[in-house]
Amino acid sequence: MIPVKYNLRSVIVRRVGTVMTVVGVALTVAVFVSILAMVQGIESVFIDTGEALNLLVIRQGSQSETNSFFDREIKGIIESMDGVKSVSGEIIILINQARSTSGATNIIVRGISDKSMELRPTIKLVDGRMFRPGLREVVISKTLSGRFVDTRLGDKIKIGRTAWDIVGIVDASGTAYDSEIWGDYNEVSQEFDRPIYSSMLIRVADEASIQSVKDRVANDRRIKLDVFTERQYFETQTGTSAPIKFLGYTIAIIMAIGSCFAVMNTMYAATAYRTREIATLRVLGFKRRNILISFMFESLLLAILGGIVGCILALPVNGISTGTANLTTFSEVVFQFRITPGLMLQGVVFAAIMGTIGGFLPARLAARTLIVRALRTEV
Amino acid sequence: MKLLPLIIRNAFRNRRRTILTILSIGMSLFLISTLKTLLESLASPPMTPESAKRVVTRHQTSLANVMPIAYRERIRSVPGVEEVVANQWFGGVYKDPSFFFAQFAVDAEKFFDVYGEAKVQSPEQKEAFVKERTAALAGVKLAERFGWKVGDRVTLEGTIFPFNVETIIRGLVDGGGSEATYYFHYDYFNELFNNPNIVGTFAVKAKSSDDLPAISEAIDQMFQNSTAPTKTETESAFILGFASMWGDVQTLVLSISTIVLFTIVLVAANTMAMSIRERTGEIAILKTLGFAPGTVLSMMVIESLVIAATGGLAGSLGARFLFGSVDMQMMSGGFIQAFTVTWTTVAMSFGIAFIVAIASTAVPAWNASRVPIAEAIRRRGE
Repeated sequence: MIPVKYNLRSVIVRRVGTVMTVVGVALTVAVFVSILAMVQGIESVFIDTGEALNLLVIRQGSQSETNSFFDREIKGIIESMDGVKSVSGEIIILINQARSTSGATNIIVRGISDKSMELRPTIKLVDGRMFRPGLREVVISKTLSGRFVDTRLGDKIKIGRTAWDIVGIVDASGTAYDSEIWGDYNEVSQEFDRPIYSSMLIRVADEASIQSVKDRVANDRRIKLDVFTERQYFETQTGTSAPIKFLGYTIAIIMAIGSCFAVMNTMYAATAYRTREIATLRVLGFKRRNILISFMFESLLLAILGGIVGCILALPVNGISTGTANLTTFSEVVFQFRITPGLMLQGVVFAAIMGTIGGFLPARLAARTLIVRALRTEV
Repeated sequence: MKLLPLIIRNAFRNRRRTILTILSIGMSLFLISTLKTLLESLASPPMTPESAKRVVTRHQTSLANVMPIAYRERIRSVPGVEEVVANQWFGGVYKDPSFFFAQFAVDAEKFFDVYGEAKVQSPEQKEAFVKERTAALAGVKLAERFGWKVGDRVTLEGTIFPFNVETIIRGLVDGGGSEATYYFHYDYFNELFNNPNIVGTFAVKAKSSDDLPAISEAIDQMFQNSTAPTKTETESAFILGFASMWGDVQTLVLSISTIVLFTIVLVAANTMAMSIRERTGEIAILKTLGFAPGTVLSMMVIESLVIAATGGLAGSLGARFLFGSVDMQMMSGGFIQAFTVTWTTVAMSFGIAFIVAIASTAVPAWNASRVPIAEAIRRRGE
């Protein structure tokens, strides 16, 4: 085995080439990691939402709360079922609101009951106060507040045809509820003249009841509802990230291929300069195999170094809050870029792959150098 | 330029290096061309003379809210309006949710008066569609994708609406986006829904595109104080509204492009630096022969330009060719209507190559030219 010191020294001596390659790989990895962080951010909104003992019901076939509507009397039927502890009937309305920057999109307004907060213990009031039933008041999620026009504490926001007071800010800890505005059910349904429920959130008594209640709802012909555990319902919305994922991976792969060519270029140049060194190593008794491994190790080293630098470059992106379209509910979903150690590892592995592919052919060429011809070279 | 052959010879001196550089720059410019085209297609929906005369009326609060169908006659009476049709998004599932395509319930009789660019294959097809309540028109691309023929029965499962729609294809359409869309009768839809007499949007055609602002105002004024106030905007503004839902995609794409650009310059600079450093001796000889330093410098820049431009043109023309032969409309489920890499984008790639050439040659060339001739010749062995 050719000592690693040789590779380390060569890399330091040929400083300019090394820096250029490392920076090139670093930039590619930085873009890759940022895109992964974005996808991770969107998906984790949906995976983290939901209590273990909560079930969500919506109209059969509607696929999301926004499309769903059903009779309020059905609540009574569900409440009387065995294993059901409490039921919250809610209504979803979409409003179109301008962003503070540019453009506009839909936001979910949820008319909630007195049980709603109880069934969602992760949601906490962090500023102001809760709205009072019977008044046109709302609370808004912390991440929505400020990103849209008229959404700060104390502002009046137009919902339907009235201006509602924003009296409180809530924090839903990065779950899907962080993209919503909450008001009193009666007020919301009256404003839009919709005496129906969009969905009901059910708390069951214990784990064993989950399946039995689900079965009972599914089998009851009167009610025609689809039932999910709260977690399941939100998990199915991860499809929202599909187009962004597709775009992201495509960009990353194209950049990676470009980087591979760049790494190859550098390594070919490196081998060309070091023909005499390689010949000397061969004369000293190192086999072709050793040369191949040594040069591949060197390109791997540069690539992994580039990968680490790239991850560090991407770090500032972590925690940036932004919003995009939730394709299932046709409204805004707020998420944060999330870089995890696992993600950074993926970035470094990505770089290593680039280094391996880019370094292979040059290393093979180096190993194939004919000793005699090499010793005669002037370079 | 008599020196061109020498420059090109120099460029391909180390064939492997040059080709790898061209490929590397090519991939990066392919990416930039694609991203630029993506931004363009999201920011400017395709406009035809017909679409320039249309506005879309929807509920003021949100697209998810509905208006009474009775508005139709009142809108028709607004001065400057030529025709109005109801346009209801159905959003159903055909066999599998992944087979997504747009479906609309429309006023069959007047549909072609408002959407003039949609063409049926024959007048008989048009008549058959208008006459029969359960008739439907399928876009030609949809028909191709699913193997549909005129006379086939198609069932759409309701998701937004609690009923299924069973229709018979009576005609195939093409033009203005209709080639990827499915149309059936609004009256049939209304009936299946138990006659709530509501609709999501109206498509309004003006007699002249100059009247659009006045018509939009008039319509919105008319329904201002009713139970369903409206918002009327040009068709392109309406489509752009959807693009804006994607949020900061534009910023994201622009930042990525900038980084890619920077990487290209780096790659090209690296190559040129290696190349020039090897030739310090030759540069000295050229100067000894009497070539002015300016000439020597421009030779190097042009050499770099040849490499960068080849890469750039290969990348952007490759993108143009690729997206020209792939049907982006079908691949994106109708989201993206047109995805053409314009000649402007190709020209931009050439421009970038030019800048890259200059930026990447500058420093190494400057360094090389500062080495005194005698020393440069002595260094020939390096």
